[in-house]
Amino acid sequence: MRLVSTNAQESMSGLDDSTRFRNVVTPHLDDAYRLAHWLTGNRSDAEDVVQEASLRAFRAIRDYAGGSARSWLLSIVRNTAYTWLRKNRAANVVTVEDLEAVELKQTAAADFNRENPETTLIEKTDAEQLRAAIAGLPMPFRETLVLRDIEGLDYREIAEATEVPIGTVMSRLARARRRLLESLTARP
Amino acid sequence: MAREKRDDSSVLLVNAYIDGELDPANALGIAQRMEKEPALAAEAERINALRQLIHERLPREQAPAGLRSRIEKSVGALQRPRDRPTWRALAASIALTAMVASTSTWLVIGAQQQQVMIADSLVSDHIRALMAPEPVDVVSSDRHTVKPWFNGRIPNSPRVVDLAKDDFPLIGGRVDVVGKTPVSTLVYRRAKHLISLTAVPAASERQINRSPRSINGYNVVHWMENGVGYWAISDLETKELEEFTRLFRTSQAQL
Repeated sequence: MRLVSTNAQESMSGLDDSTRFRNVVTPHLDDAYRLAHWLTGNRSDAEDVVQEASLRAFRAIRDYAGGSARSWLLSIVRNTAYTWLRKNRAANVVTVEDLEAVELKQTAAADFNRENPETTLIEKTDAEQLRAAIAGLPMPFRETLVLRDIEGLDYREIAEATEVPIGTVMSRLARARRRLLESLTARP
Repeated sequence: MAREKRDDSSVLLVNAYIDGELDPANALGIAQRMEKEPALAAEAERINALRQLIHERLPREQAPAGLRSRIEKSVGALQRPRDRPTWRALAASIALTAMVASTSTWLVIGAQQQQVMIADSLVSDHIRALMAPEPVDVVSSDRHTVKPWFNGRIPNSPRVVDLAKDDFPLIGGRVDVVGKTPVSTLVYRRAKHLISLTAVPAASERQINRSPRSINGYNVVHWMENGVGYWAISDLETKELEEFTRLFRTSQAQL
């Protein structure tokens, strides 16, 4: 029979978890929100995803074994976003297998062979065009590009967050950038 | 990436080169190739321009303030599924719980187990108080403010003494709950350490001193006085905590 419903042990571990959460998760909420926004495409969905991801992160805080706290959190956000998208927008989620199949059919070297860098054309892009171009990338390309070029993760961290080999990260990133460049330079 | 197309893999290498992900040998190799192949160099320029564009042109969004506070709240709810009851609820249940706690329920468990449970519960309250924005519910170094504050919140009026002259200034007080009984806790400070001193009215408790001396790194000093069990809990060293309890016990009851 217990009159006292908590004991000190529980509270101590609770203290640890909450302190860990504050050290590991809270500093990276902006990054979490940005990634969720890119993956879901709108703000209120992003908020839902980040909130859910934060709870997951809190429950799993003991699994965090050092290393980059940000990429640990971002991988949770990413998985949460996928679960969320599958549940709420199943039709919009392109599976990786579909995508790789499409990619295989495309000629790899597309038009990067042009010797004129056309950087002035790229530089003229405004924020909205850029945003729309990134948002238009298929999910695996988009998340790889966002994690690298917006969040600044390195290849290994992206590989861990997206659960693919580094080689796949490299090829997705190259393709994501190539697609972006094509859509930014192919204006009338 | 195991494509055989030469151009494909060289583009990957250009990307990895720009991202600083190549080892020195590969970096040198692709750098030399870019010098010789204008198409590769042009692609590198475009990628750099793109990266710069993203970096400069794309607004860096921040999480909405409301989201941040909602997360803190929901994590807090997981953290503390059992929140301290509101004063209103406490006031309503004081009469009942005091009776229940002082009679039947306490008899079910042995005295020692009871001591351990009280100590556990109070250490939990102490830790929780340390995590809260304020460790006390009434903030005052004035015992004339602290003592009356407990009136109507708990059945017994606690003994409040001022130990500021001994470097144990009073910070304030709060109501903790032991079992189901609200009890008074005074909070004192020594340097950066807080001491929670709780008075638990004992129904029919014999003088026993088998309470734990330390729980999870917090030192616990317990004594009985006039039918009231006192519990001092702090991360202070035992010696200092004992000095505090000695001062508290020997000082005149004030007010």
